[in-house]
Amino acid sequence: MKRASDLRFRYGYLIHQIVVVSLTTLSAVVILTPVVWMINAAMRPIKEVLTYPPRLDPSQLTFEYMASLIENELYRGYFLNSTIISLSTLAIVLVLGLLAAYGFSRFKMVGGRYMLLGIMALLMLPTVTLIVPYFRLAHLAGLYDTLFGLIVVNSAFILPICIWLLKGYMDAIPVDLEEAAMIDGCTRLQAMQKILVPLAVPGIVGTGTFVFVFAWNEFLLAVTLTDSPGSQPLTIGLAAFFGQFVRDWNSIMALSTITSIPLMIIFVLFQRWVVQGMTSGAVK
Amino acid sequence: MGEKGAHHLPSPEMSVRVTEAQSARHGPPPMRRVLPRGMNGFLFVGPAIVFLLLVSIFPLLRTFQMSLIDVEAGIPLFVGIRHYADLVQDPWFWKSLTNAMVFTVASVILHIFIGMVLALLLNEDWFSTTLRNIMRGLLILPWVFSTASAGLMWTLLYHPFGLLNYLWVGLLGQEMPIEFLAKPGLAMASVVAVNTWKAYPFYMIIILGGLQAIPPELYEAAKVDGASAGRRFWHVTLPQLRPILIAISTIDIITTVGHVDLIRMLTRGGPLRSTETVAYYIYKTALLDGNLGYGAAVSTLMLIMVAILIIIYLRLLSRGSDSGETSF
Repeated sequence: MKRASDLRFRYGYLIHQIVVVSLTTLSAVVILTPVVWMINAAMRPIKEVLTYPPRLDPSQLTFEYMASLIENELYRGYFLNSTIISLSTLAIVLVLGLLAAYGFSRFKMVGGRYMLLGIMALLMLPTVTLIVPYFRLAHLAGLYDTLFGLIVVNSAFILPICIWLLKGYMDAIPVDLEEAAMIDGCTRLQAMQKILVPLAVPGIVGTGTFVFVFAWNEFLLAVTLTDSPGSQPLTIGLAAFFGQFVRDWNSIMALSTITSIPLMIIFVLFQRWVVQGMTSGAVK
Repeated sequence: MGEKGAHHLPSPEMSVRVTEAQSARHGPPPMRRVLPRGMNGFLFVGPAIVFLLLVSIFPLLRTFQMSLIDVEAGIPLFVGIRHYADLVQDPWFWKSLTNAMVFTVASVILHIFIGMVLALLLNEDWFSTTLRNIMRGLLILPWVFSTASAGLMWTLLYHPFGLLNYLWVGLLGQEMPIEFLAKPGLAMASVVAVNTWKAYPFYMIIILGGLQAIPPELYEAAKVDGASAGRRFWHVTLPQLRPILIAISTIDIITTVGHVDLIRMLTRGGPLRSTETVAYYIYKTALLDGNLGYGAAVSTLMLIMVAILIIIYLRLLSRGSDSGETSF
């Protein structure tokens, strides 16, 4: 009797596993097709990109297109700009965000609740509603077509969600440890530096990845605030390239692949913490 | 003050306590130290607040102001509500509003539906956690690509000689390739498909987090009561996910309404303006046609709509906090 139910349990478990795994795999295959297609087109000889039937055989692959883009000064410039913009945004947002998250998490302030509500509202503010004043103000302030202007505006848009995520993290870390450190003679800043920040590292890495990906992929603010390749990021370069060489799918996809490589690397490295950050603090 | 004491002492800081009490579901709540000098926190919060006031709030107010002026000739000219009056009679504005609604409603439904299905699959018992984590990673991948890249990837797939048309013409034996982005009726659906592909991972992960936070006892109790898988989903999973679903649908509606880059990359609002949403209309009138005042007026109307949504959302959240669901 016991054996029969055991068997039935195992049989059911097997079916369940097969269904779950195959459905997920099938979805993953469908969902990853565009990505595979992009990389495939980036490395395929020009005559073979748009053919019936489509070709996937690896023997014909070439790095020619990517190499010629990497050698091109213009695209190296875009790449450098994207790197500067993303890293500077990351630095500004992490410093301001960590301090603010600490303040919201560890102090009770007059009007603190309303400030948090305000940040929550700013977090949802669509970028497009501010492009008109940004365009005008950047001209007035002499920040139009500069990397600095773009960095400042990028930071303002990602800071609210950053504060929110980091605050969620800090709320989950007991305050006792810092208190103990402060009783032992640490100043508040030292306690924050030596106790809280190390404990919050997973949250900081997750949030940081989030910020970097946002800044690297940002398009609308860049299109609003820049006008020349000297200050434009890769996303703009990609759009401009597409507009210019509509038929050269190899090079377009090669540039798109190169643009995405840093993100894919970062994502593979930090995926765990991004997921953790988004599942714990994001929406509560 | 001990951690436990904080919960039983009635005190003026009740609002803070409520926040702590609800997080007790997941273990011992973190205690928030209430310092005597209430101003200290401002030292930490201050820089971020000042930064946001300058770079977000001030331009936000400028949007209202700019909607009342014309700056075409370089000299600001006060025109009052003329832009708004024009707006009401502008058929393209109303069309862009309808387009935005179709785009947003379709996208949000698909994001949450696909996110939910995949999150449920990932939340099942897997024989191998490693395999499940790899799958989770692969399923999140579309999220890391820029909208510009995503737009290009899909333009290639949608190409008359691309993969999708190969399936349609080559395998299904149809005569003509489908013009996914060039047919007025179809272009919107094609754009929605790309947006769904690009954005569902974010919602999948948040829903997955919500699913993992549901106490397993609830499912066990439902099982003991003989509830089927469907009923368990309806009576346990969905009510438990309610706050998260409210949050992500609000965030999703607002993000989706604001999309410009995707539409710029795929269709530039065409064909026959069938994919021109309000957001794209703002971009087009203000930046491409240089009509800043008019663009600001459209922006202001959009801000008002967004503000209404946010207020409804925050109301829903505060109502939730009475039953201990959320941190507001």
